[in-house]
Order: sequence, then C-alpha cells, then structure tokens
Amino acid sequence: MSTTEMSISVPASKSGDKSQVEDSRVGKYLAFHLGNEEFGIQVLKVREIIGVQDITAVPKTPPYLKGVINLRGKVIPVIDLRIKFGLEQEPYTQRTCIIVVQVAGENGPIQIGVVVDGVSEVLNIAFQDLENTPDFGTGEAILYVLGMAKMKDGVKILLDIDAVLTNKEFQGLKSLGL
Amino acid sequence: MEPQNKTDLATLRGTLETLGESIVLGTVELGQLDDVRKILGLLRSSGIGDNSVWLAAEKFEVCAAGEFQIDGGSELTRSLMEFQDALNSLSTRISASDNEAASRAAAFASLAQDPELLQDFVSEAREHLATIESGLLKIEETPNDSQPIHSVFRSFHTIKGLAGFLELGPIQELSHEVETVLDMARNSEIQMGSEVIDVVLASADYLSHSVSAVEQGLRGNPVVFRSNESLLQRVRTLINIETKSVEKSGSDLSTVEGAGINYSEIAAASTDQSTSMATVPHPPTSGIAPDAGETRDAPVVASSNGDSANLVIRVETAKLDHLLDMVGELVIAQSMVRHDPTLGNVENVRLQAHLAHLNRITEEVQKTTMTLRMVPIGNLFQRMKRLVRDVARKAGKQAELEIVGEETELDKTVVDGLADPLMHMVRNALDHGIEPMTERHAAGKPAVGKVCLKAYHQGGHMLIEIADDGRGLDKEKILAKARQKGIITPGAHLPDSEIFQLIFEPGFSTAEKVTDISGRGVGMDVVKRNIEKMRGRVDIQSARGVGSRFLIRLPLTLAIIDGLIVGVGTQRYVIPIFAVTEMFRPTPSMLSTIKNKYEMVTVRGRLLPIVRLYKKFGVTPKSQDPCNSLFIVSECDGVRFCLMVDEFIGKQEVVIKNLGQCFKDIPGVAGGAILGDGRVGLIVEMAGVLGGASEVAA
Repeated sequence: MSTTEMSISVPASKSGDKSQVEDSRVGKYLAFHLGNEEFGIQVLKVREIIGVQDITAVPKTPPYLKGVINLRGKVIPVIDLRIKFGLEQEPYTQRTCIIVVQVAGENGPIQIGVVVDGVSEVLNIAFQDLENTPDFGTGEAILYVLGMAKMKDGVKILLDIDAVLTNKEFQGLKSLGL
Repeated sequence: MEPQNKTDLATLRGTLETLGESIVLGTVELGQLDDVRKILGLLRSSGIGDNSVWLAAEKFEVCAAGEFQIDGGSELTRSLMEFQDALNSLSTRISASDNEAASRAAAFASLAQDPELLQDFVSEAREHLATIESGLLKIEETPNDSQPIHSVFRSFHTIKGLAGFLELGPIQELSHEVETVLDMARNSEIQMGSEVIDVVLASADYLSHSVSAVEQGLRGNPVVFRSNESLLQRVRTLINIETKSVEKSGSDLSTVEGAGINYSEIAAASTDQSTSMATVPHPPTSGIAPDAGETRDAPVVASSNGDSANLVIRVETAKLDHLLDMVGELVIAQSMVRHDPTLGNVENVRLQAHLAHLNRITEEVQKTTMTLRMVPIGNLFQRMKRLVRDVARKAGKQAELEIVGEETELDKTVVDGLADPLMHMVRNALDHGIEPMTERHAAGKPAVGKVCLKAYHQGGHMLIEIADDGRGLDKEKILAKARQKGIITPGAHLPDSEIFQLIFEPGFSTAEKVTDISGRGVGMDVVKRNIEKMRGRVDIQSARGVGSRFLIRLPLTLAIIDGLIVGVGTQRYVIPIFAVTEMFRPTPSMLSTIKNKYEMVTVRGRLLPIVRLYKKFGVTPKSQDPCNSLFIVSECDGVRFCLMVDEFIGKQEVVIKNLGQCFKDIPGVAGGAILGDGRVGLIVEMAGVLGGASEVAA
C-alpha cells in the first residue's frame, strides 16, 4: 500500500472583490495526475486516499467501472478515470492510488473510489488563479470540467467530480441496455 | 419558563414513570426516590410549580418515606399517580402558556418544536399500545387475573401523560377517558366484558392511528387527527352506564356519583389555575371500596408476559450494521495477522497463547454481534391474537389461538417480512378452515375452533407452523378448480403435496362466496411470493375433516448465507449453498454437444445443460477444458443445469452486502460478500445466470 505525502501550499493572495468570494470554485483542491495532465478535486469531496488493492470486477458493466473493493467492511464501486477519459490504459504502479470521494446519490450520499495515476498535493486556489474553460470552437462545453487554474508549475484542470460520477450512464446501468 | 426547568420537569416525570413501574414490579430502589427528591428540590427553587403540585409532592414524599418498605406500596402508588397527574397538568399548562407567548402558531408549529421528543413519543407510544393490546386479550381470556389490567392502565396513563406534555389534545383526551374506564374496572366497578374490551381496543386503534399521524407530521406532512368524538362518546357512555347502574343498586350512591363528576372535572379544574385544595385529584376509590387498594396492588410477580424487567436499549439499525461491518473486518484482520508467515516462524509460546486468546475473543465478539439483529417472534404472534379475535367475531365463529415458541429468535427483517403472510394465513385458517359451530358439533369436534402458531428451530432453519383443527383442504375441489382454470391438464395425476401447492396460484380461490375476510383468491400467491423472497418455502399438510397445517421454512437471517467459494480465473465467486445440489469433476465420456455449440453433461442418466460461468461473466478462466473444471449442479425454477467453474476454494458463511445503486439489477449477481482474505466476492444468482446463458452461447 503506497502512501503519498501531501503539503499544503500557501494561499497566493488574499485581497479581492465580491465576485471572488462568491465563486464557489475558490478553495482547496487535491491535485492528482493522469498521464501528462494535472487535475484537482475539491478537498471537501474527498474522504480518503488508499493504495490500489484487489478490485473485484463486476460483469456486464462498462469498462471504466473497474468493479468493487472492500473499504473497511463496506463494498464500494471503483471507476478508472483513465478509461473514463479515453486515455491509454497503463498497468498500476506503486504511485497509483484510489481516491475515495463522497458524492450525492439518489438515496443519500454514496462513496466511490476513483483510480488515478498518483496524487501530489493540496492546492489553495484563489480567484485570480481561476479561468473558465476556453472555447475550442467545437460548439460544446467540455464535460466534467469546472474550470482551469493557472498555477506556478502549470495549468490544473478542476474536475467536477459530481458530474463525472452521477451522470446518467452511471446511475442506472439499465439505461445502457446492459 | 427557563429551558433548564423544563428539562428538570421532563426528567422528573420520566423518573416518576420508572418509579411507578418499579413499584408495580416490586423492584424499587432507594436511589430512585432520592433522584425524585433532588429534581423536586430543583423545581422548588425555581418556583414554577403551584399548590396542587406541592401538595401531591408532599403527600408522595410522606408515603415514600414511610410506607413502601412495608407493603409493596399501595398508598405510595396512589400518591405517585396523583403526583404524576398534578405534574402532567402543570406541564400542559406550562407548555400551553409557553406556546401562546412564543407565537400564535397552530398545532403544527408546536409539533415542530421538538422533533426528538415527538419521535420518542411515537416509539414509546407504539410499545405501550402493543402492551395494551396483548393485555386486553389476556383480560378477556382470564378475567379473574387482575395483573394485566394494571399494565394496560399504566400504559394508557403514560400515553396520556406524554400526549399532554406534547399537546396532542385528541390523544390525551381519549386516553384520559379510557383510563377512567379502566380505573373503574380495576376497582371492580365495571366488568371487563367483551363489550368494554371492544371499546378499549377501538380506542387503542384510534391512538395508534393518531401516533402514525404524529409520525407523518415529523416527516413534514400535515398532521391530521381523525375525530375522536364518537369514540369519546362510547367511552363516556360506558362510564355513565356504570355510574348509573351502581346508583340504582343503591350502594354508596353519593360517593360514586361524586367520584364520577370529580374525575371528569379534574382536567378542566386544574387547567383554570385554581389553587383551591378541593381540586386535588382524588381517586374515586378512596371511600367506596375498602378492598380496592388490595386488588389493585395485589402482589405482582414479574411474569413472562413482556412485563419482565429486561433492560432494553433501542439502537438505530444503521449503527448496528456498521458494527457488523467493523466486526467482520476485525475478524479478517485478525485472521490475517494470525496466518502471517512471519508470525508462523516465531516460536514464542507466550505470543502463540496471546494470539489464541485474541482468536477466541474475536470469535465471541462475532457471534454476539450476529445475534444483535435477532428479535423474538413473540410480538408478531401476539398481533395474531388480536386478528383471530376480530376475524372470528366477524365470521360468527368461535376460535382460540394457541402460541408455542414465542421466544424463538430470528432476524428482524424476517420478522417484518413475515407479518403479512402470517396474517393472510391465519385469516384463511379462520375463514376457510374452522367450521361454523353447528358444523363442528355435527362432526363431533369441540365447539371452539383452535388455531395453533408454533415457531422453532430445525437444522439451521426457522420453522413456523400454522395449524388449525378445521375442515381441511378439499382436494377434489382444488383439482376441479385447477382444471377449470386450465392450470393442470384433465386426467393429470398429482401427489397430495402438489395438489395443495395449487392454492398458491394467483387468483385461486375455492371459496363459494367472497366475504370481506377472504375468498378473493388474492393472498396465497402473495404469501408464497413474500416467503420465497426471504429464501423460504411453504409446505402444506392437510387431512379432510381433521385440519390443515402450513409449514413455513425460513433461513435464520437474511443477512448471512452459507456459500461455496469458487474460483474462475483470478476472480472469486460465492454460490449460495441452498442452490447447489451436487458438485463433481466430469470425465470426457459424460460430455456431449448439440450442433457443436450447446454443451450437455450426463449426470446419473439425466442430461443437463452446461453453463460456463466465465463466458457468462466475461473473465478469463484457468482452463477451458471441462475435464479440468468443476461442475456444480443446481436447480432453479424447476430447471436443472450445470455451472462450470475452475475450482472449489471453500465454504464460508458470508454477510450479504449491497453493491449499491451503480451495480443494481445486474443479471446473475445477487450482491457482494467480503471473503476471508478481505477481498470482495460476488454472490452468484443462479436464476440470473441461467436466464442469460443462451444469450452468451449465441
């Protein structure tokens, strides 16, 4: 089981106008990476981070639903973000871990594990760092993204984890015709 | 009023309530009285009481100091009740004035005041209502036993008190009147005939409806109490009739009349803040019946009827489930430590002894937690008593219910799921089984029909029997009906047990006329479905003219199953043992195919289809050769088939876990289970596997 060190970065700035306070995207994010890209998940949604363990595959489910694991006596589903986002699959390493997030389900909150390549740190994202997702001229918004954060060491993609985990296909596999 | 005082008052009332129960049971402890005095002191210093309260309190204290050691406390009980009444009216007044001062909010606003208190009220009232019901039925059975009436009285009294405190007017009003009737009854001023019991039962029903209404209120729905006018009328009529009849008989005319008036006026008098001593409640008994005190306080032996002083704590099921989860994990962690190879190499006797000790304790903890969800079936059976009484009356028959094995324990979810089926079957036994009296007479049977409910364990199963000594099932009639409905072909020959199973067909009824009790043919199929949902089975034995016996066989718990752990590739699956007939490794000569596609195996002369689990679940097996695999013969819905898996790993009792909403309704998967190594294994649902088999083979 791999543990990951985390450090909390110093807030970049404190001054600001009203709109900055109101933007719900401002706050702390857990940074993780998938391939070459850096992502952030709101820390409040994260319950814990565990190392990769044996995942029991469940038949007749889409490939990104890796299966279920035993989280201290509870059976929770695990999804692989690489597959979900159409990245190339790679074997799990020492750095690979499962971020357990809590999202709103139909009948109260549910916990779901998310497999990522590795977690790095907790970021404090201020209003100045935020930017909306650029328009690529494709005519449609990029799914699951809250916005971008321009940090010193590069751009982070702020993930709308609720949208990732609660979209239609995930809620009822029946609708997939499986 | 200060919130602190309010809490004190509530605590005092609670303490008194417990004290009252202790007195009835004869288990008073000195500490309890001290508690009362302490809170009383607090209230006094806050100055919220009035004269009527202090008077009652003083009287009580005097009694408490002297008497209870001597004779089980007849005077003490009486003074305690007076004290409680005084406190009840005080708190009603206080909360009423509180309310007015706070806002002009309607009844709903007051409900919203303290959801926690209300929730407590709901659950407490439910318990008391159950006590009331069983108590009343007992009174009817053994009218000379004075004990049940006391417990019924106390329950009504408590409900009244609580309802008063929470301003549930209709509940308080009705229970007050019923209490009056019961008080008269226990002072032998009124006979607890079935007429009276009917009214009291109806009142209990009303209360239970109102309690449900309160519960609805807690969920945010508007609270609607049904009108209690007609019931109140009926109860009051009882009181009046009695008063009058005593009047006519001319014994102690003035006192009784006074008592009647006194009682109905107490509530009114004490609410208008009168400080006159005359309004201090007097039990009507004080003058008229010198032996009343004795009857009331006849030494009470804690009997096995639910009054026993078992200490019970209510716990949320979610907490219990969490505990179960954690204990499961503890067992796994423990076994991982124990079987760690490094530890195995350590040759330290002390360490090994400690490990063994830890092992024993863990096992014990696991066993205990597994029983936490178990409840005795007695409560459910008690409810049937009421049903038998009502149905028998409605059908104009005489019947009694015999109950055996009340204390048998089984999973709470099973008990809940059993309620409806049991009700249907008991109702059927009465309506179709037990004959009318004349018919019974002609058959030479005792006039009173008998229905017997029995619960017992047998070989890891729970058995519940519903037997009646009625006319039995009519085989010919069932067969005729089945032919008419086209369920069986004419001329088909069926064994008895299969004929009887026909009554579980939907819409099957041999009753000539539909009554409002039963006969519509709905019910038995629901019974069967419900029981099968709990992985149970119903068998019927019946003899014409002698009676019928329904045998329900259920697993002890729904949360745990015995499973075979099998391996396919790297995956582990759990196969419920009840679905497995046998296991074997086939030889090439046993195998054959149709069109080179559909595979079959010959087992003892029977040709069975083969279902390859790896194909069905899309995993890579260790071997595709059937001769290197394990075959599991299984039967579901009358179809036998062979499930092909790689290997047999072991047998384990597993706790069934829900896979959650992401993975619901996957054919062939019934849930997950945590295996001995901490991994999750999927529980295979045999019917689902078979259902999807053809689609995979294609």
